[in-house]
Amino acid sequence: MQQLVNGLSIGSIYALFAIGFTLVFGILDRLNLAHPAVFAAAAFVGIELVTVAGLSIWLALPAVFVVGALLGLVIERVAFRPLKGRPDAHFAGLISSIALGGMLIALLQWRYHADTRRFPAESFPDTRFQLLGAQVTLLQAAILVISVLLMVALTWLVARTRLGRAMRAVAENPTAARVLGINVDRVTATTFALSSALGAVAGALFAMNVNSAQLGMGAAIELKGLAVIIVGGMGSLPGALVGGLALGLAEVFAVQYVGSSWRDLVAFGLLFLVLLVRPQGLFGARRVREV
Amino acid sequence: MFGESTLVFIALGGIFAYSFYAVLVAGQLSLGQAGFAALAAFTSVAVGPSPADVGELPALLIGLLIGVVVGAVSAVVLGLPTIRLRGVFLAIATLAFAEAVRILLVNAEWTGGAQGTSVTKVVTPAIAWLALLLVGYWFWRQGPSRYGRALAAIREDELAARAMGVDVGRHRLSAFVAAGAIAGAYGVLWAYYMRLVAPEDFDFVAAIDGLVTAVVGGSTLFIGPLLGSGFLTMVPEIQREIGVDAGWVRPFLSGLLLLLVILFLPGGLASLIPVRRTAPPATGGDLGSEHERLSTRTHPAAGEPVVEVSGLGKDYGGVHAVRDVDLTLRSGEVVGLIGPNGAGKTTLVNLISGLVPATSGTVRVLGVEPGRTPVHRVAAAGVSRTFQHSKLFPRLSALDNVLVGSHLVSRPTFLRRLLWLPSARRDEQQALQHAARCLARVGLGERASVPAAALSYGDQRRLEIARALAADPSLLILDEPAAGMNHVEATGLSELIGSLAAGGLTILLIEHNVGMVLRTCHRIVVLNFGEVIAAGGPQEVVKDPAVVAAYLGGSAGEGPDLPGPAAAARPEGPTAEGEQP
Repeated sequence: MQQLVNGLSIGSIYALFAIGFTLVFGILDRLNLAHPAVFAAAAFVGIELVTVAGLSIWLALPAVFVVGALLGLVIERVAFRPLKGRPDAHFAGLISSIALGGMLIALLQWRYHADTRRFPAESFPDTRFQLLGAQVTLLQAAILVISVLLMVALTWLVARTRLGRAMRAVAENPTAARVLGINVDRVTATTFALSSALGAVAGALFAMNVNSAQLGMGAAIELKGLAVIIVGGMGSLPGALVGGLALGLAEVFAVQYVGSSWRDLVAFGLLFLVLLVRPQGLFGARRVREV
Repeated sequence: MFGESTLVFIALGGIFAYSFYAVLVAGQLSLGQAGFAALAAFTSVAVGPSPADVGELPALLIGLLIGVVVGAVSAVVLGLPTIRLRGVFLAIATLAFAEAVRILLVNAEWTGGAQGTSVTKVVTPAIAWLALLLVGYWFWRQGPSRYGRALAAIREDELAARAMGVDVGRHRLSAFVAAGAIAGAYGVLWAYYMRLVAPEDFDFVAAIDGLVTAVVGGSTLFIGPLLGSGFLTMVPEIQREIGVDAGWVRPFLSGLLLLLVILFLPGGLASLIPVRRTAPPATGGDLGSEHERLSTRTHPAAGEPVVEVSGLGKDYGGVHAVRDVDLTLRSGEVVGLIGPNGAGKTTLVNLISGLVPATSGTVRVLGVEPGRTPVHRVAAAGVSRTFQHSKLFPRLSALDNVLVGSHLVSRPTFLRRLLWLPSARRDEQQALQHAARCLARVGLGERASVPAAALSYGDQRRLEIARALAADPSLLILDEPAAGMNHVEATGLSELIGSLAAGGLTILLIEHNVGMVLRTCHRIVVLNFGEVIAAGGPQEVVKDPAVVAAYLGGSAGEGPDLPGPAAAARPEGPTAEGEQP
């Protein structure tokens, strides 16, 4: 039971991170590899907001959300929009986002050096609940609730609102969407902003959960994020949620029953299995090739 | 600035980048190379003889041999299950493999775990550069060979490559194995240079570095990986030289430069090098003599059945795109297939050329069963086609497009090119002349070196016909070839079809230009709502009341609201993205 709680709380961070990945992929068919850098940057910014500006953690999270959204706009504008219409946009987008992510990490190194940063100890109340014999910290509960709320809100946004409809139209066919009067550039930019904002919140929550932030934290979660979106189905929002939670649980139980050195193998084993058995992922639909 | 280590790192980085280049030229994004390199490095160090026993150079050579074999074998093992994955899926699957390998090596006893294994240093700059030049030579010779062109075709348009008779699965796998072998060599060289080899040397960052090097250098010219490695190795060196502080500035500037290169040099650094495009040879007088080396097909005797279709049906979900069609094409016939939009014409053609399997009924074409036979074998049997929406290889020149079309009738030249055998050059020349003749036949002789994407719409349609002709088919299927052509061009096309048929070809022509169909075809089949509603000579068909009704509206159909071709071709509907529940 205790493991279940731990797994769900780390899994919901994976899911929140992955959902940003998959949002851009599902709608724009691009893999944004600067996403992990946003994840790391948000953790440092969040810690700075709490320690230096003295914000409470509840105010810092919305601020981190905004910072992430701004970074998303920059990423779209600098690394992706100039590639529009190029035949190699797929590969080039990977590389340009890697380059921009590297620059972002370098800037973090300039601002915060290579040290590990932490949230101040008193910034989060150390309240614990007993739930069916398991200890649940308030932090774990908050992570789970915030992540799930954000993901539900995003799913609602994509499914029900005017913006979401425009997003789905762009996903289906950007040219047709443009003809129908949708401002494709703006929808693209908004998608990036949302995606990065979610990745940023995930970064801040992760830093709270493990109580440290390092420059390499984005790279460490990047592979897991990729695994989650494959397992859940590329571009599928519910898939990313389920995939993230499943990965979190699988890892925690792997540590308990197999040993911690094998924990990282779980993600890749799961990923490989899904790719072989069901390449479109658990929730993905198979795309049909047209002639 | 050009110290020993810089020189070796340029060479090793170049070799590793070539292992990415090997698959990028075929349009595959694989990140598993780090895994191949790691397996090869540790295996060769553990199994190979020690330099102390057999001497340094023999130990390295044996180690390299082991590494190349291990790399290639692990590429086969990984490639067989994953080769059907595309794009990012392949990238992530191979990445997962590499990470899994790394974790296994870290946890294994025989590798020394995370600390790694110490190795004697054997590699010198000369050895590293020799290895780099060998690998570069391989790709220099590969590029303009038949194999190299087939890989480029797969990168540009996999389906079209398949329809031209390229065995896509085998080509992709062999590109993958080449990547594995080269990555293996890299791993071994790395181990024998670094003195210490650890699993962390082959992690995710290493894989990304290799990919970045290959893309920055350019993945369309063999020199690319070398340029990329030189650039990325020298940037920090130069920064150190001019006194830029270590710390954050160096990675920042490196990232910035990388960004600038990728944004402003679409073909990578290699695009700065002017390339001489293969020009078509002057078509001299000896057209007869060179023809003998290209294998030519014997068409079935006139009147023999070429296509036999019976009871053929294809359902997409609940939509009957084609149902219960019986059709026979005899050798030398020109048959027109007409019908309103959404009548199922393209589906029928896809069934005949083997792109989609039938739901019911049978097709036999030139002795094979399309739908059960892989597309490239159907093409090899003598079926060649054009597509309703042009499926050219956009970044290849018109001539190269047609050269890919001649894949089935020309001979493989790559291995002979590696050895500089004169026969390879002769074969290439003949293929070039054959392609130039096909281009001239559709009136594109002057535009041979223009990239297909830069041609006008009408020229693209004609280039598709030239490409289909280059395969020397027995059955030529033209899917709306005159779309976008003006009256004069359509008349020229009609004459071309007539002369091809006179040469023994069987032609199936789908066309909306009914006047042209009536002039060109011996026999016409009319399709509506997936069923044959009339068939016969041109004059009978135009008078048929069912045909008149289908074209002008009326009661012959089953209702006006049947789906159009778009809906028929995309049965999954608009939710294929999957972000909706």
